[in-house]
Amino acid sequence: MPTGNLTMIKKILFVTKFEELGFDAIKSLLSLRESGLEHIVFMYVIEREKVAMRRGVGYQKDEAVRLKEAANIRFIDWAERLFELGMEVGVYIQVGGMASEVAKAARKEEADLVVIGRSGKSALEQFYSGSTVTELIRRLPVPTLVYKPVPENPFAFGKPFQRPLLATDWSAASRKAVDYLISMKPLIEEVRVVHVIDENAIEGDSAMGAQKARKDAKAKMEEICGRFEAAGIDARSHVYVGTPAEGLEKAARECLATMVALGSSSKNRWVERWIGSVPQEIAENSAYPTLLIPPDRE
Amino acid sequence: MGKKVLVVDDDPDVRLFNTTVVEESGHTPIEAANGEEALQMIRSEAPDLVILDVLMPRQSGIRLYRQLKTDASMKDIKVMVLSGINKKSFLKSQQALAEFGGGDVPEPELYLEKPVEADVLATAIKKAIG
Repeated sequence: MPTGNLTMIKKILFVTKFEELGFDAIKSLLSLRESGLEHIVFMYVIEREKVAMRRGVGYQKDEAVRLKEAANIRFIDWAERLFELGMEVGVYIQVGGMASEVAKAARKEEADLVVIGRSGKSALEQFYSGSTVTELIRRLPVPTLVYKPVPENPFAFGKPFQRPLLATDWSAASRKAVDYLISMKPLIEEVRVVHVIDENAIEGDSAMGAQKARKDAKAKMEEICGRFEAAGIDARSHVYVGTPAEGLEKAARECLATMVALGSSSKNRWVERWIGSVPQEIAENSAYPTLLIPPDRE
Repeated sequence: MGKKVLVVDDDPDVRLFNTTVVEESGHTPIEAANGEEALQMIRSEAPDLVILDVLMPRQSGIRLYRQLKTDASMKDIKVMVLSGINKKSFLKSQQALAEFGGGDVPEPELYLEKPVEADVLATAIKKAIG
């Protein structure tokens, strides 16, 4: 993931359980052909618990074969359509743990981006639990795009990189996200930079305290916008007050964002703030795809 | 004396089935699990026939086929495509790649859609290399 240069997303690992991500999601990702996308690798993980040894039943091989063949039929159909467009296509169908199998395949394929689905509106519809997403981010050295199809949101399966909303808290992880989005310039029409001020963190009980917090944040965000504009990308900044998840959701809606982009780190407080809670909240409540950008690995 | 047949498929069960049919047809099977491995084996083993799956990790059969048929040292190796991907999509993909500047490639000598019965595969092998 170079900084200062353009990033090529040549290969995507597309992880699906079919219920949440279908061919419409793939079609939206074809917009990435503008940045060099030429290879999509499909992946379906049969989670071990579904076919595990059970007392009196043993290893449920028949069930594993049934799930595998059902996935294979879907992937063949999708692959035919992509092959006909001149795309390269691969497939993995594995039995195992979701995070470990995805990480293994991403490394083996040297994928530039991992795409996974995310929940519906209720916890029961949560296809990937927060802990799976957290574990994936911890293991993956490449950005992860978490998609959530919501039919009423016309941008959910549009061009995800067209109008990203960048959530920032000035950390190193946020700076990394700025670098990454700048490197995706050919795909980006406009960036909205958003900082959400925790209302409890506003000092004092006067209007002065709130306005000072807004002014400080705005000044820092203007520096970030300056970096985007120097790179030839239109950028605007916005300050919201509230919880990060609520603020980001509101901002994404008002800005007609096509996705929310967040820097992530596996080692610092960002984990607690973003990975520990906010992505889970977004996964459950937001209509917007979320791009999680990892730090450079040492 | 039997000929050398490279069986390329990412599914170990399919490789086992195909290599068994190759052996029973009097030929010597060798195996690869994806397009990249297959290319190395083709260069080192010079097989008489490649039985090629299409949808595989790392590199698909579509790209491998194109590499074979555009390389002067490998273009005469016979290829039997054996895949769940239908022939029409295979040929359209080759057309699309040709339009991107890859040049035209001939159709594969034989194209079988999975699943195939052992006798159908054996007949096709016989047709290709005797």
